[in-house]
Amino acid sequence: MKFFTTFRKKSPWILHYNAGSCNGCDIEILAALGPKFDLERFGVINTGNPKQSDIFLVTGPVTYRSRERLVELYTQIPEPKVVVAVGSCTSTGGVFRGMYNTEDGIDRYIPVDVYVAGCASSPQLIIDGLVTALEILETKSKAIEKPFKLFGAIETIGNKLSRLNMARKVDNDEN
Amino acid sequence: MKKTIQIPLGSQHISLLEPIRFKFECENETIIGVDADVGFVHRGVELACTRSFEFKQVGYVVARVCGLCAITHSLAYTLAAEKLLGYVANDRIKYLRMLMVELDRIHSHLLCLAHTAENAGFEALFMQIMGDRELVMEVQEAISGNRVQFDYICIGGVNRDLTSELCDLVRKNLMILSEKVEVLIGLFDNNWSLSLKYKGIGVLSLEDAYTYNALGPLARASGLATDVRAETSDFPYEALGYTMIVESTGDIHARNFVRLREIVNSIAMCRNIVDNLPMGEIQEKVKGKPKGEEIVRIEAPRGELFYLVRGNGANILERVRIKTPTFSGIPAMMEVFKGSQYADAPAILASFDPCMSCTAK
Repeated sequence: MKFFTTFRKKSPWILHYNAGSCNGCDIEILAALGPKFDLERFGVINTGNPKQSDIFLVTGPVTYRSRERLVELYTQIPEPKVVVAVGSCTSTGGVFRGMYNTEDGIDRYIPVDVYVAGCASSPQLIIDGLVTALEILETKSKAIEKPFKLFGAIETIGNKLSRLNMARKVDNDEN
Repeated sequence: MKKTIQIPLGSQHISLLEPIRFKFECENETIIGVDADVGFVHRGVELACTRSFEFKQVGYVVARVCGLCAITHSLAYTLAAEKLLGYVANDRIKYLRMLMVELDRIHSHLLCLAHTAENAGFEALFMQIMGDRELVMEVQEAISGNRVQFDYICIGGVNRDLTSELCDLVRKNLMILSEKVEVLIGLFDNNWSLSLKYKGIGVLSLEDAYTYNALGPLARASGLATDVRAETSDFPYEALGYTMIVESTGDIHARNFVRLREIVNSIAMCRNIVDNLPMGEIQEKVKGKPKGEEIVRIEAPRGELFYLVRGNGANILERVRIKTPTFSGIPAMMEVFKGSQYADAPAILASFDPCMSCTAK
């Protein structure tokens, strides 16, 4: 698995999804991928496939129809994954807060690691957010690659055998 | 045995900036039927404008309908509100507003050209055009303070003035840009591999454009001479060197060419505006509450933008109705897809420059 860690750090691929934004942040992401800001120097490529992506860039307050697709895309991205909320309305709802068809930010549905402010976020802020996301991605990959044993106590809850604790992660350092 | 297969495209796809879903019905590689689903980004801006925001704030809210043509949205609303309040802007305000609208048109057209190139498989051309586009973004950031959502227009004027240093920056950047656009025009006209992907593909005939109510560059590429800038008299476009650009073939190449030549035209207009900027106040106090009903049409980068604003003398408006160019263009788009190859579908889609945030609001 160490083999993959190197490449994941050097070339994190992003998946971009518009969950109801005004296009402003989307074109700024496109501009950040362009030659002036050049996000690709971090190895970032925009992919359309959630199964090949590491970083999930979401824009827009979640609309009623896009929330299922948002969660579906999130679950399809393999671990470790980082979610970046680009824009004010993605983080809190922004100007769309309280409108009848929006859900006031994506953190109601999926866990968010980095919030990028601004309406619309400038490419500099987006790059800053992605660099922070890369650090988080690294710590997440390290955590996921720690070896663990299936070792746990057998419990009974209300006359029934509970398997909740059986597959608990145990750090090697304890032994 | 079933002869046709159904291929979905969207709602999330690498070639789409925004969620839209197409169901293509294909016979081998040829598309014979299309079904489009556009409502993924509906947020309810129209209702919010008449419930939770005062009429002075609505101009900034409707700008968030669409990030690409934000300035045309706020301009259309502001014009309607000013007409209801009985206020007529002075020449300097008009010129400054026109300057930002034309700069916005340039960057929107360049983005569309870049996106079409990327979807047709020309990654290097995408990078080249995005690099050229930054010249306009720099100007916009210097004038208004933000790159995309510049809340530049307010009721009674504009929020920032154009100083002489900014004028120099506009002149300098537009001069570099006009040279680069000339290079692009040569490239789009003469490059053989571009012609394979663009010429004769995705043709919309003049009759179809007329029947299906196509607007903007999509209609002008088919030879339908329709442009709100020529039809309304809210702004002195004729005096500043506006010419209507019409192509005849109606394919992707013609649409690209309409956009390129409109960029050249807009650059000329921006230069004229900066050179002949009249003196005057940039912001004036407007008193009163909107009462009555007003209709405003503005030429957005994608076509005619229509606003209806109705107020009853209160602080909160009664009705704001927005009809956007892509909404009117969808039937024409569906017609173009029929009969074309499935592999060309992303490029054809990008060449319409569809704006789903506008359509769904």
